[in-house]
Amino acid sequence: MAKLQVSWNPFDPADPGPCIRVIVMNTREAIEAGREIGLEYPEPHSITALLDTGSPFTIVSKTFAKNRKLVLTNAGMPIRTMGGDCSCDEYSGSVSFPGSDLPTIAVLRIRAADFNQEPFFSCIIGRDVLRNWDVCFDGRARRVTISAL
Amino acid sequence: MFEKHRTEWSRDHHGKYVVIQDSRALDEFFEAYDEAFRAGLREFGVSRNFLVKQIWVKEPIYFVA
Repeated sequence: MAKLQVSWNPFDPADPGPCIRVIVMNTREAIEAGREIGLEYPEPHSITALLDTGSPFTIVSKTFAKNRKLVLTNAGMPIRTMGGDCSCDEYSGSVSFPGSDLPTIAVLRIRAADFNQEPFFSCIIGRDVLRNWDVCFDGRARRVTISAL
Repeated sequence: MFEKHRTEWSRDHHGKYVVIQDSRALDEFFEAYDEAFRAGLREFGVSRNFLVKQIWVKEPIYFVA
């Protein structure tokens, strides 16, 4: 069983919450199809992502999605936040978890929205990914343990 | 294209995914996004965008906290 442990401090209100490193990039099939017609893709690099049980889906910034040349599959979909309604675009992508043996998600519908002045993370890992794992939030030990088959 | 068929598709393929480029939709409806995306990629490639749309009578608005 794959396992990843991360620490966070639930006693510090300034702590953004439990974060992990992720690589969000195009799917293997999209890269192969693009290279066949001469397209180039950026090298994958990892970003910080918040584990967010409050989000039904995984979200990256619109700027990130465009820079990584993800394949756009829908646009202008409404979402509701505590700050009001806004719209997001939808891209296809793959998500992997460097530094762990958690299984890669080969194809995921990834939403892209504006991340306004968020200094700690540039991706939100939502319930569409969390549902694949057994996640234990141990507040007293200041630790999150993720297990996956 | 989608709006033109929304009512009909919502009745017969509620919650499934359809793949559309311009005025052409794939004949098949898909249970999952990844299946629909892969089918769209095979059919249309990556040179132009294609739409992968989940079929609802009314678009849901999801809450993100």
